[in-house]
Amino acid sequence: MNFLNYIELFISGAWVTLWTSTVAFALGLVLGVLVALARRSRLLILRTIGSIYVEVLWNTPVLVQIFIFYFGLASIGIRLPAIVAGIIALGVNAGAYLAEIIRAGLGSVPRSQLEAARTLGLAPAQTFFNVVLPQAIRTVFPPIVNRFIDLILASSLLSAIAVNELTGAARRVNAATYETLAVFAFAMLFYLVLTNLVSLAASVFARYAFKPAIAAPVWFRFRLRGSRLVDQTGLSAGAKSPRAQSKGDSR
Amino acid sequence: MNGNAWEAIWAGRELLWNGLLATLALSAVTIITSTVVGFLVGFARYSRIPVLDVVLRVYLELFRGTPLLIQLMFVYFGAAYLRLDWVSVFIASAIAITLYQGAYISEVFRAGFASVPPGQREAARTLGLSRFHTNKDVVFPQTTLVVLPPLFGQYLTLIKNTVLASVIGFSDIVRQGQAIIERGANSFVVYLVIAALFFAFNYPLSLLAGALERRIIRKRGVVA
Repeated sequence: MNFLNYIELFISGAWVTLWTSTVAFALGLVLGVLVALARRSRLLILRTIGSIYVEVLWNTPVLVQIFIFYFGLASIGIRLPAIVAGIIALGVNAGAYLAEIIRAGLGSVPRSQLEAARTLGLAPAQTFFNVVLPQAIRTVFPPIVNRFIDLILASSLLSAIAVNELTGAARRVNAATYETLAVFAFAMLFYLVLTNLVSLAASVFARYAFKPAIAAPVWFRFRLRGSRLVDQTGLSAGAKSPRAQSKGDSR
Repeated sequence: MNGNAWEAIWAGRELLWNGLLATLALSAVTIITSTVVGFLVGFARYSRIPVLDVVLRVYLELFRGTPLLIQLMFVYFGAAYLRLDWVSVFIASAIAITLYQGAYISEVFRAGFASVPPGQREAARTLGLSRFHTNKDVVFPQTTLVVLPPLFGQYLTLIKNTVLASVIGFSDIVRQGQAIIERGANSFVVYLVIAALFFAFNYPLSLLAGALERRIIRKRGVVA
């Protein structure tokens, strides 16, 4: 059990994992909102740019994207520190997925609600902030949290460009102790704790933030990670998946 | 970009070609194995077999809650640690990717089986069909339509995920690209070429998944 002597390496690695994913996620959210709005725009050029962004990032591997931002940019004269290049790559990638989730969420608010708001004399901004947004956030929240969890897991790829996050730390400890199985199992345990804490925090947050909770009991029992398989392909995810999924998961 | 960048890539075209074949081989093998694992696990979860169900839930939690990269390292370096010489990089990668993607695919199948109304099953049993025939002739055929779009989505993810095998040393297209870069090719261009190759394979697949999904919406009126 020599690897436990290196516990501070694991802890600092976990910390790097957590903050890099958080920063990348924030970047992804900003990009996601912008791209979602671009894809709903009336201008063809904006819609085209939005779909190209999403399709290109969806259909190429994240690792290659990270390499392009780190090695690729360096070879044409733009030298970024590994951790910066990695965060940008992860954020740009997450932006493509978040854009589709946000777009589906905005689309999930029925048209009639917009018409009713207009009839009641609400201004476009009021309609957006008081009618569309509160409803869209509810449907969009679970898949967005799933994306954050996926991002934490994807940040392990940063070890391939020598960032010392959790996976990188595990490799270093393995090289120092040769207790391979124990070291990697221990690192996996760290990831499990990290992802489950995020999941738990999100469901507690959702329970208190979204009042009156239309689906309160379901929200709480619903394991947020359950809807992942839906948002892999897709689009229609947001609105339907949480409730449909929870039937099976809340036993 | 000057002409040299392309010349270096052209000179290394054989390496890239071999890498592409390796990526395709790993993808093809793991698409088959992870579908088999996913189907079996999904069906076992759907059948709710008492003890097995707990075991499978632990399996799902473990493989969906940790990064694939660390699973790859666990299997590959772990096999070396246990002195299992027959576990090559290819085999280790195939095992890890199968277990990882199988976990996700099992949820696709389970959701598919669960989408068949229980009345269908009950009716089939009442009409005297055996358990086997109830599943084979009543439940399974009704799930194909629902299962296909997310399944293709999973295959897409799987193909992208095979590049992680390059990190533990599998000579896939990314690894061969790195070899060409070491020989002096411009890395920006090389990685763009690799990304373009992935796009060429994956984009049609994602269009197909989208088309299948729209077909369900047309047939059933809702998203299943």
